[in-house]
Amino acid sequence: MTAADSRMDPAGAPSDASRATRLSPIVRKLLRSQQFGLVTVIVFLLILLSVLAGSHIDNATGRSVNNFLNSYTLIQTATDASFFAIMAVGATIVIISGGIDLSVGSVYALAGVAMGLCLRVATPGGGVGAVVLGFVVAVAVGLAAGALNGAMVVALRVHPFIITLGTMWILRGIAFVSSKGDSITLPDSMIHFAKSPLGLGAALYPVPMLCMLIIAALGATYLHRTVMGRHVFALGGNAEASRFSGLRLGRIQIGVYVLAGLTAGLAAFLGSGFYGSVSCVDATGYELYVIASAVVGGARLSGGRGSAINAMLGAVLIVLIRQSIRTLHLDQNYEWIIIGCAIVIAVVLDQASARFAARRLAQGEE
Amino acid sequence: MVSRRAAMAAMAALLLAGCPKGKTTVPATGEAPAASGGSPAAAKPIRIAMIAKSSTNPVFLSARRGAETAAKDLSGRTGVPIEIIWLTPPQEDGQIQAQRIAQAVNEGANAVLISCSDAGKVTGAINDAVARGVPVMTFDSDAAQSKRFSYYGVDDRQLGEDVMAELAKLLGGKGRVAILAGNQNAPNLRRRVEGVKSEAAKHHGIQIIGTFYHAETPQDAAAEVIRVGNSYPDIKGWAMVGGWALFTKTLLTDLDPKKVKIVAVDALPTELPYVEKGLAPVLLAQSSFLWGNVGVTKIIDKLHYKKDVPEVVSMDPVRVTSETLGSWSRQLRQWGFADVPEEYLKLK
Repeated sequence: MTAADSRMDPAGAPSDASRATRLSPIVRKLLRSQQFGLVTVIVFLLILLSVLAGSHIDNATGRSVNNFLNSYTLIQTATDASFFAIMAVGATIVIISGGIDLSVGSVYALAGVAMGLCLRVATPGGGVGAVVLGFVVAVAVGLAAGALNGAMVVALRVHPFIITLGTMWILRGIAFVSSKGDSITLPDSMIHFAKSPLGLGAALYPVPMLCMLIIAALGATYLHRTVMGRHVFALGGNAEASRFSGLRLGRIQIGVYVLAGLTAGLAAFLGSGFYGSVSCVDATGYELYVIASAVVGGARLSGGRGSAINAMLGAVLIVLIRQSIRTLHLDQNYEWIIIGCAIVIAVVLDQASARFAARRLAQGEE
Repeated sequence: MVSRRAAMAAMAALLLAGCPKGKTTVPATGEAPAASGGSPAAAKPIRIAMIAKSSTNPVFLSARRGAETAAKDLSGRTGVPIEIIWLTPPQEDGQIQAQRIAQAVNEGANAVLISCSDAGKVTGAINDAVARGVPVMTFDSDAAQSKRFSYYGVDDRQLGEDVMAELAKLLGGKGRVAILAGNQNAPNLRRRVEGVKSEAAKHHGIQIIGTFYHAETPQDAAAEVIRVGNSYPDIKGWAMVGGWALFTKTLLTDLDPKKVKIVAVDALPTELPYVEKGLAPVLLAQSSFLWGNVGVTKIIDKLHYKKDVPEVVSMDPVRVTSETLGSWSRQLRQWGFADVPEEYLKLK
């Protein structure tokens, strides 16, 4: 009797056990997917908030509207997450390589301020001109700042934590000095671009959310479908082995910081356009949210593991937790405690999981 | 997979905050409003989202108290339940404020009352709210380019000039002075600093050694004063465009009232010992309680009574000195400040 035979009942129909076995690869694949846990919790939170949020009467239509499950709140929540999430994609690539970038918030501020100052001076005639110039400046500053971080990490051979801690202050200081502390208003065309409704209707602004999805997809493609992405994993997984296998580690390291700078520049372009002004204190403390998004998304701080999609989901989850505190009318000061607890528990569970896996491996070898 | 575990951790962490007590918005006033014609239960509530700059700054907690008091009083008078939804971020952040305006509108707030950390950042969100039929009023720090219907607060430039004029008088028109300026992005504080400088220019013996910005927390402010004092031992006076540094007690011992004089904006209970000791002989108080109280009253004037509200409602600062310490202390106690020192209440 073969294994296949054992799955058939005497009448020749598949038994329950056989059906379960046939489904199990799909279910197993789903359960094993990196995104499953995060998506489950996000869906759980969405349902929880929809049920508990209560409702209000819409002033315009006179109809009852759920306080959470409405297009405005959902897109607003995604928009709030998008600026962290875009930066988190870059930060995750750095973390996978075994590095860390504490300067992303300052890169965001400097890119925004540089963009504001250039637009104030250049004032290009057409609306599109301002958007293009703003984009070029923000991205260029992001790339330059990332290249500076990478070059210093490689050339000075100092731990990236220290280098980016230093550049975090330096870059914000440059933003402060160059803007003289002013809040700089951006041209309307920048706001129209970032807040384009794309046909969804007034006060619905999906552009940041769409950019977040596109950048996360590009990040995932880079990491998992390109040779350069594999090199990043190799570097973070085992730097010595990567060196002996002939990888040019310095180039890879500079590359990951450039990508982190690029995503910070893109986030600055979108965020500044969305809110309509820039200042040197923009994104203060955001580096912690960005790193938290990466960690909650499964990135290992020692390198070698992480996912761009998960980083985005991590950012969405953190913003959703923040949103839920307000929607459920909990004391908003619990926000920091809750996010802090989530990060600590996530990392502790991660380490416990790694120890457990190592023990199982050792037992298998015996 | 860590992501699965991280997700579970997030759920567990969320549960740490406990469960909500009800489905609908909890009235900040905490009590059901009394009726005065019509059934309040049947009346459609008016929900006002209040977004101050920072929930750790005592002046905004006082403003919240003022708003809640007005909501309670006006609920009784109008028969309409008025709810204050406190959406102030823990730290100053114009971007978070903009997000909270959008959140308030999405959740059906009838009006927004805001003190802007960064006018440029919140102008778009204010305009969006107004476009969706939610009127916005500013207090303390304005967003003049936005479509808000009214602003309530002091004339900041004039207030800065008053601070410097008082300090110049105390110093006999000569000496080196410093400006303590708070957050460099707050437009109201910048205008006050401009006022201080323009008034100082009228006093030839007064030399401003610098304008010092800092995070708007009492400890950061006090530390900045001490740092600057160590670097410039010959400072004779401080023009403080906000009272942050005097919310601590440390300067009572670190500064000598015979050598240094302070004139500061605000006069909350924790600042009053500085007046008594003579270190800050003059405080120019903004009635922060009235920010919330008058703000809510004006919003109800517009929404409920359909009255016209002026675009700018001026607040006059109150001059607090050793002569007026008693009456000001009693006023603070009347506004609900429990921490006013008892000995000041007994003064004339």
